[in-house]
Amino acid sequence: MEGFGPTFGFYAMSALTLVSAGGVMLSRNLLHAVLFLIVTFIGVAGFYILLSAEFIALAQIIIYVGAISVLVLFAVLLTPRAGRDNGETKMALPGIFLAVCLAAVLAFVINDTNWATVATSPELTASSLGEALLDAWALPFEMASVLLTAALVGAIMLVRTPEEEAEDALR
Amino acid sequence: MSSGGIKTEPFILNIGPQHPSTHGVFRVKATVDGERVIDAEMVMGYLHRSMEKLAEERTYTQNIPFTDRTDYLSSMSNNLGYCLAVERLAGVDVPARGNAIRVIMAEFQRLASHSMAIGTFVNDTGAWQTPVMWSLREREYILDLFEMTSGARLTCNYMRIGGVSFDLPKEFEPAARKVLARLKPYLDEMEGMLTENEIFIVRTRNVGVLPQELAINSSASGPMLRGSGVAWDIRKAEPYCGYEKYDFEIPIGYQGDSFDRFLVRLEEMRQSVKIIEQALDGLPGGPHSTQVPLAIRPPKGEVYGRVESPRGELGYYLVSDEGPSPYRFHIRPPALINLSALKAMTVGGTIADAIVVLGSIDIVLGEVDR
Amino acid sequence: MSSLVTSNWYDIRDLSNISRDILEGLANVLPHGVVYVLAPVLGFIATFILVVLPSQLIVGVYGERKIIGRVQSRFGPNRVGPFGLVQPIADSIKLMQKEALTPKYADRAIMWLAPIIFVAPCVMLFAVIPFGPRMILANIPVALLYFVAVSSMPVLAAFMAGWSANNKYSLFGAIRIISMAVSYEVPLVLGLLGIVLFTQTLSLQDMVEWQRHYHIWLIAAEPVAFVLYFIGVGVELNRTPTDIAEAESEIVAGYLTEYSGMKWGLFYGMDIGYALAAAAFGSTVFLGGWSMFGLDHWVPPWMIIIGKTHLFYFLFIWTRGTLPRLRIDQLMSFAWKFMLPVALFNLLVIATERMIWVQNDLADGIVYVFAAVNIVLALAALVFWSRFLGYRPENTPKKPRMVREAGGYVPLPTGKETR
Repeated sequence: MEGFGPTFGFYAMSALTLVSAGGVMLSRNLLHAVLFLIVTFIGVAGFYILLSAEFIALAQIIIYVGAISVLVLFAVLLTPRAGRDNGETKMALPGIFLAVCLAAVLAFVINDTNWATVATSPELTASSLGEALLDAWALPFEMASVLLTAALVGAIMLVRTPEEEAEDALR
Repeated sequence: MSSGGIKTEPFILNIGPQHPSTHGVFRVKATVDGERVIDAEMVMGYLHRSMEKLAEERTYTQNIPFTDRTDYLSSMSNNLGYCLAVERLAGVDVPARGNAIRVIMAEFQRLASHSMAIGTFVNDTGAWQTPVMWSLREREYILDLFEMTSGARLTCNYMRIGGVSFDLPKEFEPAARKVLARLKPYLDEMEGMLTENEIFIVRTRNVGVLPQELAINSSASGPMLRGSGVAWDIRKAEPYCGYEKYDFEIPIGYQGDSFDRFLVRLEEMRQSVKIIEQALDGLPGGPHSTQVPLAIRPPKGEVYGRVESPRGELGYYLVSDEGPSPYRFHIRPPALINLSALKAMTVGGTIADAIVVLGSIDIVLGEVDR
Repeated sequence: MSSLVTSNWYDIRDLSNISRDILEGLANVLPHGVVYVLAPVLGFIATFILVVLPSQLIVGVYGERKIIGRVQSRFGPNRVGPFGLVQPIADSIKLMQKEALTPKYADRAIMWLAPIIFVAPCVMLFAVIPFGPRMILANIPVALLYFVAVSSMPVLAAFMAGWSANNKYSLFGAIRIISMAVSYEVPLVLGLLGIVLFTQTLSLQDMVEWQRHYHIWLIAAEPVAFVLYFIGVGVELNRTPTDIAEAESEIVAGYLTEYSGMKWGLFYGMDIGYALAAAAFGSTVFLGGWSMFGLDHWVPPWMIIIGKTHLFYFLFIWTRGTLPRLRIDQLMSFAWKFMLPVALFNLLVIATERMIWVQNDLADGIVYVFAAVNIVLALAALVFWSRFLGYRPENTPKKPRMVREAGGYVPLPTGKETR
């Protein structure tokens, strides 16, 4: 990745991602935190574009920004007003400890990796992804869909009101 | 309503006095849980103009413009009810021509009011002013007729005690027949467009059901009562102004939902066209009103006179103490009494249903608040 | 891609000639790298300012109001300028000089940000629309996915707008639009997936080439996909019969209740802009884009696609003026219980046809056979499936009962007349 354009793009994307990740942690209002999270997702999608993986980038936007953020927003809407403070929490110290441990592990791993760059980037088109998913990795694909279906059914079961359950028990 | 740990709480939504769909300044404090309405409390009185008190200072004839402004969408019927009550109190007879003219005007007013009611009702289901424009187009022709006879389009002030104020001009009858000829294909068109429109049916069927018992117990009248299957129309039960001479039917609904009330109103428009044709064909000659003194002093007593206005039973209760002004002047507004069943009709539905139900009751705030 | 279009700069059938000449000229003059920044700016000006914005103003504001006016048996705007043609300018001036109120307890930052996030995706969508054989701003190979990705962002902007206004009506609108948009994305994408099965590509330019090569429009080859796209994108755009999030007669402009002035003007303008973008995308994928069975050699292809976009947009205007609105729970049950099974069934049929095509290595003309089969299946599904789902026109009464005498109950008849 040479040239002025990709380099500038890389630094811009990293700045965007890091600043918005900081915003997720540091903003007081929970909804502002969710919006910063959305910007972080878009930043990560920008990284994928820099790596010429456009399909993954757009899939990231569709899934994360389009669907998962909506899920998080619904979760925020369902919390009562008192619980919407993103500020102080009792878990601050354990959280910092865990973050430091994770940072240390990542630093060692990054230091020890051999970052040899390949001359040509592999071709990653939508069709090659599709072939991989349905040919070589078909079993994990199907298992993932079974897992998602189980999650869907579980979510519906969790939010049924007692009246609906009684009605279905009668049938 | 809470289940399995998710605690939800209902909140109060103010379908407030300023709202595009409450047909005036009317407030409903709806308690909603998600989208379901669990309680609806009405707050009225934003348009109260203390007409009943003011009427005690004015003579009987000076009160007729007041009645125009209660239900400003059907002023002829209001005038008719009031004049009928005073005539009963004072023992004044109306000549045959006066009665026929009264019937023609009342039925035209019913046509105008119902077309507005249907237009705004379909508008409330969401069709972005298209039905309103079509219905008001027909109403404009009827209002032109009113302007031709009485000089005003909306608050006509046409009826007098003992008859009507002016005779029909000679260009009235051909113009009226032209309007009726226009109206018949319009009714067919509205019926064809709406009674088989799946979106409309799914929005109004089984919405706001008013059972028969509840309709009678809450003194509903007019298309609300007839939509619930009760055959009661004052024009047939206690005929006035010579209604027993005309041949017409009254439409009855099936189960009292908003769709039935819509069908009843549409069919009533057809029956009104029939009545007007009969009245125009058999219009007698003669004087158009009997002469009564300007400050009429009816004998002591009380009277309750009622007519079938487009919204229901419009009644006037008058107490006279032989003075030039009434001692007590009370209006029984059909819209207010019909509204008493609003809570029963809206609880259990969604907010969208509540708006549709309010549109199907067809209220006019001038009448509700007086 | 042989065509009679020459590479002279004055050949307006291919506007990329002019832009390429300008950019090459500028590259010789300016320092290295600046032309990379200038190229998208030029593209933005060419695509959006010169093509889309006038389109939006003339067709979107003026045309829509005139056409809806005629549907409602009245004239549209006809006071401002000859035939009311200056109406969009008058609207813009009015909105710009209006005070954009912000309620006291509203979230100012988000309220200010929401129109911006609403405008940006709608403008970005026009970057991938091919206006001619070489007139496309960004010929990315995954343009279809780009459309789906970018069209999920205005939904978030609408939610932000509704939430930040601190108003119960706005909150209603915000929640409604999220649930609607998320439900209808699924049949929309499944419909487009059927298209991809035939054209074997996600790039819009290649789809137009496919339709040119086989001499058939994809609306004829896959009518069910077109219907799914039309309804799905209509819900994403918040247009009647599904404009529930902004339902004026119920919740007084929904998520836009607290907006006024140019902030509202941005939402309103991009409502039209987004609809035009979806119409342009739809006409590219389904109606053949800039190709018109050979006519695009003579007529400039960008005129053809703009004409098709406006024709598609006319469908939106038509349904808006005619149909009443659905309720939110009816809309969602329509999505999950009707559109999703239809989309899956459509995918099954298309995949079967594609498999037959590939495995037997059939000739190109087989597309017409498949198109005929698809049309017949679509009509059959329309007739039989909707009846199967319970809508029986004979169940609803058309006329009330008539009586001659007043007094007393009229008992309900037992039988099929009531439900």
